[in-house]
Amino acid sequence: MRRLILLIYSLMICLPSQAGQIILGAAVDSPAVRSFTADLAQKRPQDQVSFMSLKQLKVSRPAADARLIILDRETLDWRLQQNDAPATLVMRVSRIEGAALLGERPPAGVTLLWSDPPPERQLRLARLLLPNSKSVGLLFDSQSAFLVDEYRRAAEELGLELQAKPWNPDGSRKPLLALLETTDLLLGIDAPRLYNADTIKSLLLTSYAQNRALLGPTASFVRAGSLASTYSDQQDWLAELDTWLDQSPAEWPASAYPMHFKVVSNRQVARALGLAPASDETLTRHLSEGEAR
Amino acid sequence: MPIPRHLPCALLLCSAGLAGTVHAEDLFLGEELPEVLTATRLKQSPAAVPGSVSVIDRSLIEASGARDIPELMRLVPGMMVGYTSGNQSTVNYHGGRVSEARRLQVLIDGRSVYRPGLATVDWSDLPVALEDIERIEVFRGPNTVSYGANALMGVISIITRSPGDTLGTRIKYTRGERGIDDWYGSQGFASENADFRLSVSGQEDNGFDHTDLDYKYRDSRRSTRMQLSASHTLDLNQSLEWQLALKEGSNQRGVYSNEIALISGAVPVIDNSRDVEARDYAGSVRWALDVNPNHSVQVQSSLQHWQRKQEWSACDLALSFTPEVRQLFSEDPDKLDTVSRLLRRGNGALIPGWGAYFGAQHPLAVSIYNYSIDPSGAYLNPVCGDLNNNIDETRFDLEIQDTLSFSDNLRLLSGASYRRDRTVSETYFGGALENDVWRMFGHLEWYLGEHWVLQGGAMFEDDKLAGSSLTPRVALNYLITPRHGLRFVYSEAVRSPDMFENDVRWTYRLENVSPQVDGRSYADYYAYANGPGNLEQEIMRSREIGYNGQFDFGLRIDIKLFNDEIHRMISEPLKITDFAPSNENSMWMRGAETEIDWQILDSDRLRVTYAYLKDFESSEKSHGRLSARYSGSAGWIRNWGHGWNTSLFYHGADLLNERRFERVDLRLAKRFRFGETELELAAMLQQRLDDEALTWRENLYDDRRVVYASAQLEF
Repeated sequence: MRRLILLIYSLMICLPSQAGQIILGAAVDSPAVRSFTADLAQKRPQDQVSFMSLKQLKVSRPAADARLIILDRETLDWRLQQNDAPATLVMRVSRIEGAALLGERPPAGVTLLWSDPPPERQLRLARLLLPNSKSVGLLFDSQSAFLVDEYRRAAEELGLELQAKPWNPDGSRKPLLALLETTDLLLGIDAPRLYNADTIKSLLLTSYAQNRALLGPTASFVRAGSLASTYSDQQDWLAELDTWLDQSPAEWPASAYPMHFKVVSNRQVARALGLAPASDETLTRHLSEGEAR
Repeated sequence: MPIPRHLPCALLLCSAGLAGTVHAEDLFLGEELPEVLTATRLKQSPAAVPGSVSVIDRSLIEASGARDIPELMRLVPGMMVGYTSGNQSTVNYHGGRVSEARRLQVLIDGRSVYRPGLATVDWSDLPVALEDIERIEVFRGPNTVSYGANALMGVISIITRSPGDTLGTRIKYTRGERGIDDWYGSQGFASENADFRLSVSGQEDNGFDHTDLDYKYRDSRRSTRMQLSASHTLDLNQSLEWQLALKEGSNQRGVYSNEIALISGAVPVIDNSRDVEARDYAGSVRWALDVNPNHSVQVQSSLQHWQRKQEWSACDLALSFTPEVRQLFSEDPDKLDTVSRLLRRGNGALIPGWGAYFGAQHPLAVSIYNYSIDPSGAYLNPVCGDLNNNIDETRFDLEIQDTLSFSDNLRLLSGASYRRDRTVSETYFGGALENDVWRMFGHLEWYLGEHWVLQGGAMFEDDKLAGSSLTPRVALNYLITPRHGLRFVYSEAVRSPDMFENDVRWTYRLENVSPQVDGRSYADYYAYANGPGNLEQEIMRSREIGYNGQFDFGLRIDIKLFNDEIHRMISEPLKITDFAPSNENSMWMRGAETEIDWQILDSDRLRVTYAYLKDFESSEKSHGRLSARYSGSAGWIRNWGHGWNTSLFYHGADLLNERRFERVDLRLAKRFRFGETELELAAMLQQRLDDEALTWRENLYDDRRVVYASAQLEF
């Protein structure tokens, strides 16, 4: 994947930028969507960037050479039913949703840009924050079981051992306690049944009581008390889109994690755990440099 | 800000995707979650703690194979463990008298189990099973600011496992030599917003085997305990925990001589059992509210009742109950002592002419002498009846604690509490005695930049019986890095004289006497003791320099240099025939101690503690009897894989009450897994390396070795 990205980068430098119609599609119009559209338009003056609601998309079919950027689930559902729709980038989709929607093989012409932080990046952040950690604990449920092997491979590449246990938040806390006992930190996975506003309190308090940090699953959890996470915000996604839109849709992969990202950490939690992490900016730079190599 | 109950909108493609509390300005950051690890809930890293803390965690408790808490205290540097008998242990920090330890606060889930009336901790009678304990935090040093008076030399805080962490069933049985016969069963269950655990357990052993005079030792213990713990999540910001604990048991006490008799040995001991029937009842409730991430409030209340029933029959000479003996005791107890020794020398067949000696003592002594040579012999006949040491103690405690975080670097913990103690005992207090204690406290924690943490506080306490006091505490921590810190601590602490020392009205009334004395069916013993009522609080001044470090390769080290002094110390032995507590004692201790805990990979853990008491000075030698100059422990816990675990511990102290103590403990355990069921079989061997008695010369075992085994099933 990294090689592919590098190849794309080098192609970008050689090829002239494409100009054309870019349509952002979402079921509901909102100031946030409008502002995102405006930002993208500003970033790509050579293109005609516009917003179309799902209703409009259904009525006036976009030209085949346009590029479609989908921002929500309903619009994606519609897109998946179209055979001759333009090349599409799907944003704000998680791995679990992607797997549930599309199974193993996404249809041609659709590129899923994953919203969850990539396993390797999260694990590398774990290594930066807790350099002596040797084993990482991972809880999963039936929806996220398919990701475990991917996390395990990523951990092994970094010389970490991954211990994964299935868990049902309505059931016993035993798997969680067992993981906290035998691993150095807990890595969250963007699995909404496991990590949500109802479960996070018990998860955080339990791991914190054992002096274990939780990393991830997403930036939202950092304020709640997770130690840190990588994430991509609107600016990162604009840069990300800019990169993809510079390429021919024929080059677009079936799915990709964002290359542009940031790190957010909870300084108070770090202090309570006896950690003194570098600033978020420095952590971001270290991780980016690592990925660029 | 309204707190969302669900996270669906963070799932970026849900149909309601753009609604809800998604950041208006950013489509990609998901929904905001409530802060869970709030500023008020976060703990300090060990390097920033303003004092020395030892933590005995669950894995250490299991690996130690210990059956009670005093045994675990051997793993804490500076803790001195002594035994009055097999079922009466004493835990002291650095030093003190052997028979009592009044200067440590002991809490179970925040509830003080330090008995209000007799000011002791009945270690054998605590209504908690070791299997229910998550960890024991031992604060080594005075901390009345956080824990109230009596936290003079340290605080032992026992924290039980959260009910939510112990769902399912667990049963355990332990059996071994010396009559060891323990059992435990617990069931954890969950409802929608609450978790519960019910545990019942029993403990039994024979204590020491024989005395130095080869008597069979009467010091077995037996107890049955029940604990029901619950934890309710009321909403995202509120939780409620409550607990009920009961304990019923009996501790044998033997009698080898009648120490309150006027002439010991003159009459036979007719009842050599003074077993104590002990019942403890406790209930507590704690409500915690997060007002906002920077402010939390906690209210805790508990009600406890201790019931000790100790009844026996005894005889004494009719002479003891004459008004002259009582009058001489009240006028000049020393003279009575001399008279009784003169009488003992005569042993009932007094040499004619000894009357002159008595006359030289006191005019009353002549009358006593004349009774003793009364031709009828009536005054040398035994009078027998029933005695008791029964006592009921009740404590109600209410505390409110407020944690306020002004900024990331400034946090204030403050609160107030009210405590009511009531003791009823005819023998000790001639009825009921009550005390009210009001307390206010504040503790400020201030991070002065990256490296310095200044912490300080004060406690004001008003004790109806002992008066009021203000104790300060200040600590400065220098954090070399967040995981390595130096600390400089000065603290003062007080201990109020307890009801027994200050307000006792101690007297024995022999009931159902036979034959009757002066036509009555009861007779009062000549001896009595009245508390002085004007004792002042003991005061401790403690200075400490310490280092705490956590190394990246799993090593944790804590080193402490201390200089502690106790003034106005009340330390006289409290005997009914010689009851004269005063504030005229003092104690001064200087030394160093360390605790090293090294987790080497996942398989091995090494743990070493060592305490060196360089100087120990006290106004009286007996204060330092339970103070070893060198003491410590070393442990190696290993996980061999395939379910095999071993642990090897050494405990040693050069002199505890003038006796050496050295012991090696070996535990071997194997775990078997059958699906969700886990079985653990363990064998434990304790081998004494010295051949001394334990603490007192009569505390002897037949064998220097003891073996016991346990089986535990969890599903």
